Amino acid sequence: MADETKKAYDPNFKYDVAAQPGGEQIKVCYSCGTCTAGCPVTEVDPRYSPRKIIRQVLLGQREAVLSNELLWYCETCYACSAYCPQNVKFGDVMRAIREMAVAEGYWTPQFLQRVRNVDKLAHDIRLDLIRAALATKDQTEPASIEPAAAIVSKKITEVLV
Amino acid sequence: MDSQAEKKTVGSVLVVGGGIAGIQASLDLADSGFKVYLVESSPSIGGTMAQLDKTFPTNDCSMCILSPKVVECARHLNINLMTWSELEEVKGEAGNFHVRIRHKPRFVNEQKCTGCAECTRVCPIEVPNAFDENMSLRKAIYRPFPQAVPNIFAIDKRGTSPCKAACPAGTSAQGYVALIAQGRYAEALELSRKANPFTSVCGRVCYHPCETACSRQLLGEEPVSICLLKRFVADYAVEHGDVPVQPVPVTRKERVAIVGAGPCGLTAAHDLALLGYEVTVYEAQPKAGGMLRYGIPDYRLPPEVLDRDIQRIADLGVKILTNTPVKDLDALRERYDAVLLSVGAHYAPKMRIEGEDLSGVYSAIDFLRRINSGERPDVGKRVVVVGGGNTAIDAARCARRLGAEVTIVYRRSRAEMPAYAFEVEEAEAEGVTFNFLTNPVRILGEGGKVSGLELLRMKLGEPDASGRRQPLPIEGSNYLMEADTVILAIGQLPDVSFLPKDVQVTRRGTIGYDERTLATSRPGVFTGGDAATGPRSAVEAVGMGHRAAESIHRYLSGESVEFLPRIDPEQVVILERDEVAQRLARGEITLQPRARAAELPVEERLRGFAEVSLGLTEEQAVAEARRCLACGICSECYRCVEACKPGAIDHALKERYTELNVGAIILATGFDEFDARRKYELGYGRFKDVVTSIEFERILSASGPYEGHVRRPSDGKTPKRIAFLQCVGSRDQQCGNAYCSSVCCMYAIKEAVIAKEHVREIEPTIFFMDMRAFGKDFDKYYERARDEYGVRFVRSRVAKVDLLPDGRLDLVYVTEDERHVHEAFDLVVLSVGLEPSKGTKALLEKLGLRRGEGGFCYTDEFRPLATSKEGIYVCGAGSGPKDIPETVMQASGAAAEAGKLLASQRNTLTKKKEYPPEIDISGDPPRVGVFVCHCGINIAGTVDVEAVREYASTLPYVVYAGRNLFTCSGDTQESMKKIIAEHKINRVVVASCSPRTHEPLFQETIHEVGLNPYLFELANIRDQCSWVHMQLPAQATEKAKDLVRMAVSRAVNARPLHGTPLPVTHSALVIGGGIAGMAAALNMADQGYQTYLIEREAQLGGNALHIHSTLRNPHVQDFLNEMIARVQAHPKINVYLQANLKQLEGFVGNFRSTVEIASNGQDPTEVTLEHGVIIVATGAQERETTAYLRGQDPRVLTQRELEESLAKGTFAFPEGRRGSVVMIQCVESRTKEHPYCSRVCCSQALKNAITLKTRYPDCDVYIIYRDIRSYGLREKYYQQARDLGVIFVRYDLEPDEKGHGGLPIVTQRDGQLVVKVFDPLIQADLELEADILALSVGIAPRADAEHLATMLKVPLNAEKFFLEAHMKLRPVEFATEGIFLAGMAHGPKFIEESLAQAAAAVSRACTVLSKDELMAPGTIAHVDQLACVACGDCVAICPYKAPQLVTKEVTRRNFKLVSEINPALCKGCGLCVAACRSGCITLDGFDDVQIMAQIAALVSY
Repeated sequence: MADETKKAYDPNFKYDVAAQPGGEQIKVCYSCGTCTAGCPVTEVDPRYSPRKIIRQVLLGQREAVLSNELLWYCETCYACSAYCPQNVKFGDVMRAIREMAVAEGYWTPQFLQRVRNVDKLAHDIRLDLIRAALATKDQTEPASIEPAAAIVSKKITEVLV
Repeated sequence: MDSQAEKKTVGSVLVVGGGIAGIQASLDLADSGFKVYLVESSPSIGGTMAQLDKTFPTNDCSMCILSPKVVECARHLNINLMTWSELEEVKGEAGNFHVRIRHKPRFVNEQKCTGCAECTRVCPIEVPNAFDENMSLRKAIYRPFPQAVPNIFAIDKRGTSPCKAACPAGTSAQGYVALIAQGRYAEALELSRKANPFTSVCGRVCYHPCETACSRQLLGEEPVSICLLKRFVADYAVEHGDVPVQPVPVTRKERVAIVGAGPCGLTAAHDLALLGYEVTVYEAQPKAGGMLRYGIPDYRLPPEVLDRDIQRIADLGVKILTNTPVKDLDALRERYDAVLLSVGAHYAPKMRIEGEDLSGVYSAIDFLRRINSGERPDVGKRVVVVGGGNTAIDAARCARRLGAEVTIVYRRSRAEMPAYAFEVEEAEAEGVTFNFLTNPVRILGEGGKVSGLELLRMKLGEPDASGRRQPLPIEGSNYLMEADTVILAIGQLPDVSFLPKDVQVTRRGTIGYDERTLATSRPGVFTGGDAATGPRSAVEAVGMGHRAAESIHRYLSGESVEFLPRIDPEQVVILERDEVAQRLARGEITLQPRARAAELPVEERLRGFAEVSLGLTEEQAVAEARRCLACGICSECYRCVEACKPGAIDHALKERYTELNVGAIILATGFDEFDARRKYELGYGRFKDVVTSIEFERILSASGPYEGHVRRPSDGKTPKRIAFLQCVGSRDQQCGNAYCSSVCCMYAIKEAVIAKEHVREIEPTIFFMDMRAFGKDFDKYYERARDEYGVRFVRSRVAKVDLLPDGRLDLVYVTEDERHVHEAFDLVVLSVGLEPSKGTKALLEKLGLRRGEGGFCYTDEFRPLATSKEGIYVCGAGSGPKDIPETVMQASGAAAEAGKLLASQRNTLTKKKEYPPEIDISGDPPRVGVFVCHCGINIAGTVDVEAVREYASTLPYVVYAGRNLFTCSGDTQESMKKIIAEHKINRVVVASCSPRTHEPLFQETIHEVGLNPYLFELANIRDQCSWVHMQLPAQATEKAKDLVRMAVSRAVNARPLHGTPLPVTHSALVIGGGIAGMAAALNMADQGYQTYLIEREAQLGGNALHIHSTLRNPHVQDFLNEMIARVQAHPKINVYLQANLKQLEGFVGNFRSTVEIASNGQDPTEVTLEHGVIIVATGAQERETTAYLRGQDPRVLTQRELEESLAKGTFAFPEGRRGSVVMIQCVESRTKEHPYCSRVCCSQALKNAITLKTRYPDCDVYIIYRDIRSYGLREKYYQQARDLGVIFVRYDLEPDEKGHGGLPIVTQRDGQLVVKVFDPLIQADLELEADILALSVGIAPRADAEHLATMLKVPLNAEKFFLEAHMKLRPVEFATEGIFLAGMAHGPKFIEESLAQAAAAVSRACTVLSKDELMAPGTIAHVDQLACVACGDCVAICPYKAPQLVTKEVTRRNFKLVSEINPALCKGCGLCVAACRSGCITLDGFDDVQIMAQIAALVSY
């Protein structure tokens, strides 16, 4: 099989993913779709589907998976793992795939680091906003966002610039 | 027991579990000559099937098809039904087990209960009805459902409630609280008084240990205000009229004297008076009441309240002599047969300190006695009370009411005070001050009068014997306190000065007695109350009064006087906090604080001695009573005892044990539903409109909580959009149930269809992953649901269910083509899976049986009915989830296994009914006896039964007309027999209930006195009169008369009918020598019956010759070879190879077949075989196909060919390739041409895929499928295949709306096989190169099935598989009696299923062969052959093939073609009678004369 074909179709891809820590159960997936249905990212962008990614892995679509931007959409909230009736730990699978994608040169290590920073930042920001909301005494009143917005804006600059 | 007896085989079987499996196994065994004990843990048999509304795929009413079996089971002479019982212990071995059965107390005598349900009317306790999945309520006394068998009630009693257990008087506190909750105050009062004649008193002054024990406190709330509730009913009676006391006549010659008219003495007097004794009470004081009167101040207990309670005792006939102190016990003892000393403790000991004799120093008892006698002594300004008990508090509060400032001094601290906390609080509220840790050492006086006290401060030391910390004086801490009056409340003792020497007195100064009997040291003299115990509370005195009375009664009756414990401490219910919390969470109970009684304001209290507490209002009382958690469930209010006319209820029943000796045990313990709360995200238990499938069955059921109206629980509205969620608790590793529950797909479809049949507007949607419609006719049902009923199917697993603000439920799911959807539904039904029942788990554990996957009972594939222990068999859902037909097959199969083991003991323990010789009534004029039934008040409450009886007595030929409370009760049956003999009655009419349940009973009764059972007639005046016309009693009565008149006229024309005995040939013919046929032949021969096995091929083995392994077992050929060898060697099996049935004659018990046997090169020979039964096991075959290049490309194999090449080692991938196998499922199955599922192909594909991936781990295996139907425990192999890396790609028959998909396309490209298939998940075509293409070609019926069916006169279904008598409950037999069915001739199935079915067929066949003769019923049709024109209509219409056209000599020399009805085949259905155009067919028992007489009677009115 030519290298190009192998990238497009690699029957060993599923075994490679299964060999990663947390990826063991991926082959047992029976495509019920509960992961996608319960995914908060899918709620906001329906193009992102854990089930579809798993399916692509099982079908050996190595390149299509590893090069796909949607890889980075996962928030690793593990809702998919919580719902999965077959104990596929898709959150872990996702981390494994990301690392494979970087290792195989589809993405730079810096980009992976940047995503990690974004994840942390997202959590930071969430906390900041919650704190801001809590700081407003009367919870029926709109929260004062200015102090929070300033912090958020500063943090975004630190991470992305 | 000696070893000889141990080894003896016993001809009886224990069946555990009374669901359909247990019922079927029991019936089969009992009908084939074995004694059966059927043990069921619930009060009735029927199991889950009784709860179901309809059954798939025929939509039969579940209860309707189950009911006859249940009734048959309960009435069977050789089935000993043990409901409400459990298997406790098993010893011994196969053939001879010793088992111990525990019978839980039903509290209802099974022999006496008639099932009238009167008890449920009066029971005040309502609990969730488990039969309705807790969606309705039932009473604590109940039968699970109206058709329950046995029709006997049971009391749901968990034990004694803690309040009752805590009450020294033994009051059924939960009982009267429950009655109050229902507004039944008079009954509550009566109940309370039963245990406590001082109800009004104790409702005020009791220290209520019941409340201390109350479980309500587990909710973090105060206890139910039980004491005030008692007061409420007593006060209510005063205001609204009380029941007058009926004086009790003296019936005993012995006389009893009671010394002291306190609560103990008067209670004893009360009890003894009720027992019929003459009782005289001697009281020293001017009034009766003892400490209640002279010790308790009026503000706590107004004297008129006490007077009322005492008056009721006096009114019984008790003589109370006041101002009559007893000075001479000897004299008294001489005049009376027994004496009770209940003199109380009215004597105050001295404190022995200086100044105690000063004026102004009182003992508390004296002080209180004065106050209560009406004196108001001048106590001055400052009063000091010494002591910490209740008497101190009472004295202090009285002193406050005399206007003094009051201080209580007590030598310990508040915590050690013996007084009740609530009394201390009330005293404080009234301004009493407390000085703790202080003790008087001296009372100071001036001029002989008190002026103050000298006190010493104390500190607390180590705890003493009583557990209280010892007060220790602090030296030198003396101080003075001013006082005008000092009241010493430091103890009370009985005055024992009058007692003669031989009545012992204890060192404490109380009267000595024997703890067990309350007897003093002098014979015939007893003691009780404070005199015996020292000062205690009123309720304790009452309790002791009861004991004293009981003891005196036993003494006077010459009985042993030892007491049994009143309440078994083991039986006291202790609720757990968790359980209460769950009930709260389920909304069964709500939080509600304790009611507060209004009280007199403090300033008003201090103005006099008016009662402080004002009691509860009616509204408060009812609300307060409803707070009760009903710990015991049954409240022991005993209303049922009063209501039960036959006197069947006995609350004192105890559990008992039975030891049995049985040869085999069959486990039929069934399943439990998965607890859907475990899937939190699906909202069950959180949202009311998320229900389980079994709840939805009840919602659909006409007997369910909504009477069959489809409603949702939250608001009772009809839901429009209903979602069914599949695989809840199934195929789910997360909740531990990896297996498929087998039945949910079909029941969900059924429920969707039935819902739509109820309400056309309902839009059901079923969310599923794989539609597992694998059974016979299931796929057609699925398609009909989708195409005709419009049930919507969505292939998706719903992630979560949330509640929307508008009350609807939001479901989140993703479609197969990746659309993320939120969709709102009105009702969500969770298709919950099956788990081994708790009973199954416990039994497996107890019996040490091996457990298999999912905790189900392990069975071997080749011995599917055997457990890991010899002689113990299993059937039904206990060994894995399965549907009803499979369960019934297994049940019959297990019966056959047990029968085989015990064959030598057949008919050794069974009984045969013997009847007296039949009375010849020919020539006698009709003498009709009419028995009109009250059915308790079921009939008599509406119909004027006396009027009906009176009317019946006027009808022609009626020689007797009587009434019975319950005509069906055992004693009435006996009296009926006497009446029949006495009046020479020769026709019997019973006007009662349904013939369905009761006709056989009455027929039996008259048969037992020698009357032909067909001389009986039943008029159903319950269902047709009192029930349907409940609001119109007069018309109902008239209709009842009409029905009775009709029944009488029909009975007058009844003739005795007799069944025809038919001999039985004790041998069997088995057609087909595959696994099913051989298994049937072997089992049959092992049962002891000669068996002829005919096989069309030259070799035994059938399809199994090509099967090498199964999913679980790689040794199919070994199994097969062993089986063939056993068949060939069996002395009772004759095998005929290359043999075909050529002709069949005869009927059940008497078949005669001609078999043609081919012999190579020569003319075939024929043999004639005679046999009583036939088992059809002709199998099926792999279907051939030309699809997908089959036949054109050698690489296209069937699954069977692939398996054979793998097994024989001829399989290899082409050189240099990693290997790729593509499998296509449902080739020629589930298509338009073959609209059924071949059931085994998915597992076959999984099996081959697993073999391939195990042998060639690198190879690629693709399974292209429509639904993976690895049902039941096979799901594990689907999972294993995936885990091994097998890729599953789904396809549909037709392309989707975008034109994608449809059938896979197979082509050859560059010499390579290529399969093109659309993957719906990535929405793209896949092109799969295949080195081998394996087709799952499915299973076709045998080509000669039609020919055989015609010869046997049995039907085939549309697909040409043999059609059984009933898909659910008669899966192995034909409507034509004596012909049975097993294996794939019935439909595609696995080896283990064929084996079970073969055993089942044998079991059913044994019910025929085990008999010496069969009895055809008397109600059969006859042809008047003179009038018959041989039109053949009767032949065409009869489903049982009973009529035949034959040429006969009808009159002399006159031969003609006429119809003749074979009595052995006729079922008396009457179809031919209606069809006959010449009117020449008569149905005995329903002839024209009778019918016309009945009609004439109707119109002659």
